[in-house]
Amino acid sequence: MSEIREILGVFFIGLGVFFYVVGVVGLVRFPDIYMRIHSAGKVGLLGLVGLLIGTAFIFPETTLQAIALIIFFVIGTPVASHALASAAYRSGVPMADSQRDDFAEVRKDDVVPDYPEASDATTSAGGVD
Amino acid sequence: MIESDLVQTVLDISLLVMVGLLIVTSWRVVVGPSPADRLQAIDMITTILIGVIVLLSMVEVKAFYISIALALAALSFVATVSIARYIQEGRMF
Repeated sequence: MSEIREILGVFFIGLGVFFYVVGVVGLVRFPDIYMRIHSAGKVGLLGLVGLLIGTAFIFPETTLQAIALIIFFVIGTPVASHALASAAYRSGVPMADSQRDDFAEVRKDDVVPDYPEASDATTSAGGVD
Repeated sequence: MIESDLVQTVLDISLLVMVGLLIVTSWRVVVGPSPADRLQAIDMITTILIGVIVLLSMVEVKAFYISIALALAALSFVATVSIARYIQEGRMF
């Protein structure tokens, strides 16, 4: 019984580390920040979930905390990725060549300059989108 | 808790790989052309660090390390969202 538990835990830890490696390869190799957000966001989440499931198998006292961390990450990572993509897009980071920018006309209206000294963003009421 | 050689070996190799990934990701922090690139690489570094802490909790057989990972995850989430907001609008609040 204990052997089965250990083998399952080792399998999930290996899966998690594999996903982490794939995510970092994407983070280094992709040409564009939007593709890199895609890679690192999803794959980092999967890697951490794999590691935590493996931890819960090998070291059963941590199961409750592992479940809490998984729930927090499943909620938090997409929000952070979305905020990052929105920040990159609105601060004018260009896309790679083969992309199509459907929001270019919308962005022309509400584009905000990169840095605070160049903008009057502190006085405008653009807080709610 | 860690009595078998298989688990011990896998944990050691996993820790080595994760630390290597930390170094590779910090290359993107140095190179990344825009501030959003750097912020995103730092977010990935925090995710890898949480993985390292989770692995260490098994190596040292201490359950409260997962709580440290939870606190680090919460702080990293707030930091990422607020700095992204700063990059986007030029102000944080």
